[in-house]
Order: sequence, then structure tokens, then C-alpha cells
Amino acid sequence: MNGSLLDLAKARTVLMDGGLGTELMARGLPQGSPPETWDLERPDLVEDVHRRYFAAGADIVSTNSFGGSRIKLAGHGLEARAAELNVAAARLARRAAPPGKWVAGSIGPTGKFLKPQGEFTEDEFTAAFAEQAAALAEGGADILLVETQYDLREALCAVRAARRASSLPVFATMTFNALPRGYFTLMGDGVAKCAAALAEAGISALGANCSLDSERMVGAVRALRAATPLPLVAQANAGQPVLDAEGRVSYSQGLEDYVRFVPDIVAAGADFVGGCCGTTPDYINAIAEKLFRRTS
Amino acid sequence: MNQEELFSGMTQAIIDGDRDRATGLAAEAVQAGLDPVQVIDRGYVPGIDKVGELWEQGDYFLPELIASAEAMKGAMSVLEPALARGRLEAHTAGKVVIGTVEGDIHDIGKNLVAAMLQASGFEVFDLGADVKLERFIDQAEAVGADFICASALLTTTMNNQKKLVGLLRERGIRDKYRVLVGGAPASRKWAEEAGADGYAENAVAAVKLARSLAGPAAGTAGKDA
Repeated sequence: MNGSLLDLAKARTVLMDGGLGTELMARGLPQGSPPETWDLERPDLVEDVHRRYFAAGADIVSTNSFGGSRIKLAGHGLEARAAELNVAAARLARRAAPPGKWVAGSIGPTGKFLKPQGEFTEDEFTAAFAEQAAALAEGGADILLVETQYDLREALCAVRAARRASSLPVFATMTFNALPRGYFTLMGDGVAKCAAALAEAGISALGANCSLDSERMVGAVRALRAATPLPLVAQANAGQPVLDAEGRVSYSQGLEDYVRFVPDIVAAGADFVGGCCGTTPDYINAIAEKLFRRTS
Repeated sequence: MNQEELFSGMTQAIIDGDRDRATGLAAEAVQAGLDPVQVIDRGYVPGIDKVGELWEQGDYFLPELIASAEAMKGAMSVLEPALARGRLEAHTAGKVVIGTVEGDIHDIGKNLVAAMLQASGFEVFDLGADVKLERFIDQAEAVGADFICASALLTTTMNNQKKLVGLLRERGIRDKYRVLVGGAPASRKWAEEAGADGYAENAVAAVKLARSLAGPAAGTAGKDA
């Protein structure tokens, strides 16, 4: 099944899902509450979001486990439940997946820094990620998606841990900012450096997600394509979040404007396309229409 | 080494994020009996200003910023006893109470803003993350703060920035403080909407903003401690 996901990417653009946390909040996830708790407490609602993304045309959805490493969960006193929550997250997405569709086990950053900027060692990060990766594999993930990484060192810890803890293909997406000299992570890792180090660590696909809107994502994908022959993933934000007078959240890049740049993202070299913060099943549906009208 | 060379060495040590050198040069200056206020203003502050420029140009990133702030902290730890002995105060731009609002455990950006403000001569009281709104206010009242800086990284918690301003109004002390907001979902427009005094996009911009808003309340060198 895994082989066929990468094979599919050779045949046509593979569609991923969009924002998950924002969808759960729309369903009542309380402020400040870690979304992962809903894998056990409100599995029906999490599964509903996954199903809607599949119905919108997604080939692969990401599990509700972005903040599921024990280091991140420790901020909520939930570190002891890391394995349990990640198994549950993968099972939910698996259950929502129609036959022939895929599940990506989401592994986000710990939210902490490695020494010398922070207090943690690479061994501590690696152990936390290995536990999470093993649990996601146990729950039925088809691939592991190390995502939204702003520190190449942390991303490498996660990729190595994922490779060690399971035999699943590992994808990695970095969060880049557009700067005058090119695209860089918060920690100053450029595209070429990330591509070389992550390829060496054994990833099956590389990408960019979050922060950039779909227009700026085009340039990031172009830079990635120039840096690596690996399959590429692109999951752009729907711009930046804005609050209206009633305190309702919306995103600055509307659906039509977002989708307008998707063909350019594909032309720049993206093999897997989905959304990030602010995107909804409607965005994925619109991308599906745009792409498959165009290529078929 | 003459005084000018010493000052430019200090500036360079901050730019390089070289804590050992920054600290060593501060000790030399103290030994030579130099005015610590002048040492800070002419030796170290130009370094942190240059670091800010390099960050804005996209040449420096978070690790460099943190290393420079740490170097600054090292130098200040040597200079502070000398300031106290001389009954001097460094040019302080003001006191800052800072934290991430309740419901939000993200603290990377907030920590960086706190470090840069401190490196730039502000006295910083960092309350951490997931801070109850009342605690911001109680702390600000207790220390006589000039600024309250509230960070929010979630679209669901940014409303607490607005609530903080509301709470200050309810207590009738809104005008005592300059309230600054930051965090990924915040914006200048949001700052206006929330009734805050300003918004900064990153740690370097936050220092500039705080400096520009620092009023006559800011201390002056040589003032009695």
C-alpha cells in the first residue's frame, strides 16, 4: 500500500487534507485544550473531520496527533498518555479512510528547543519522537509525516526516530519564511541544507507547510525542486488569521485566491498538495476540482 | 587597548554572541574604573542594535539572537555590581511585565521578546506561559511597570489580549500602562481592535516599538538609585 502511494504520486498529484485543529475548534474544542485529548474523548468528531476531507477528495489525511509527543503533552500534564493518544489518533483516521486511501501519522514539533537555545538534548527529543512514531504505526498509519518543523536539528531527531521505530516511509515538511536571501526556517536553515540533511536521514518525501500562503508557497516549492529530486509536499496556509469584532476567526486568503495558485504550486514541482492552517474541506474540494479538471 | 578599542571589542563580542569575551571585557572595564553607564551605552548597546539590524535583514536567525542576548546578559552581570557601587542606574527604558495569555502554552516568541528587551536595557518580569490575566495586572501594579506585553499564539486565545485591556479599564488603570500585543495571529489592526497601544511582528521590532513608546517615565543615568 505504501509503495502505491509513492507510485500514485508519479502518476498524478496526490491530494492531502487541510487544517485539522481549526476544524476541531469549530466543533467546540475548548480554548487551550490539547486537540489530541479528543482522540479519546470525542472520537466521533475527529473521525467526522477525517471523513469530510476524504469526501472532499483527499487521498491521504493526517492523524490528530500533531502535538502528541510526550514533551509537548507535558505542557498539559498528559505526557504519560502519549502512546495511548497516538494509537487512538491513528486508529480513528484508519477507520475513517475508505479502502485504497491513506493515513499519515502526524508528528509536529515539541515546542521546546535543543541545547544551547533550550534545555533538551537530542537523545530526549529522539526518545519522545520514537515513542510517538511507534504508537502511530501501531494504530495503523501508512506513512509518518514529520511536519511544521522550524529547526532542522529537531526534524532530524524526529526522522531518525521514526525510521528506527517503524518501517513506514517518512515524509518531512519544514516551515520556511520568505526572506530577501531565500527561504529559511526560524533557526536559519536554508532549503538546500534541509534537503541534503533530511535526504541523508532517509526521508521518502520533503516539503514545506504552514506560515506561507499559497502564492508564496510557489517560490518555496521551486526552491525545493532545485535542491532535491525527492517527491515534494506543499501545504500552504490560507494566509494569516484575523479576528472580527465578534471574536470569530477567519483567514486572510479566501478560498478562490488560495486555489488560484495551486496549479503553479504543482507546476513548480509539488507531488503532494494539501492545506494547512485556515484551510477546510471546501478548500480541498476546490483544489480537487481545479487540478483534476486540469490534468484529466 | 584604549577606550575606543575596548568599546568596539564589546560591540563585536555582542554581534558574535561571544559570552566569554563580552563578560571578560566588562571585567576589564570595571578593573580600569570606567564609568559603567558609558560602557553599556557605547560598548554593548551598539552591539545589540547591530544584531537587530542583521535579524531584520534576514542575516541573523533565532540562534544568533539568543547567543547575543546571552552575551549581553553575561556583560550586565559583571557591570551591575559596579553600577550599584557607584549608585548609578543604566539607561533603563522602563519596566516590562510579559507573558503568554491564559489558555496558551506557547512561549518561544515571548521568550525571545523578553530576552531582547532585557538585552536592550529594559527591566523584564517574565511571568511565563498560560498566565491568568489578573496576574499580569497584579504584577504590573506590584513592580510599577511601564509596559504590559501579552503574547498569544492561538486564534482562540488572542481574544484574551483584548480581555486584558478590558480588565485594565474596569479597574480604572488602563492609562497607567502601555499594552503591547504579539504572537502569530496578532497584527497592527488587531492591536487597535483590542485597544492595545501597539503590536510588534518580532522580537527586534518589539524593542523598537517599546523604545518609541517609552515616555518621560524612563530613567536617566546618574539618577539616585
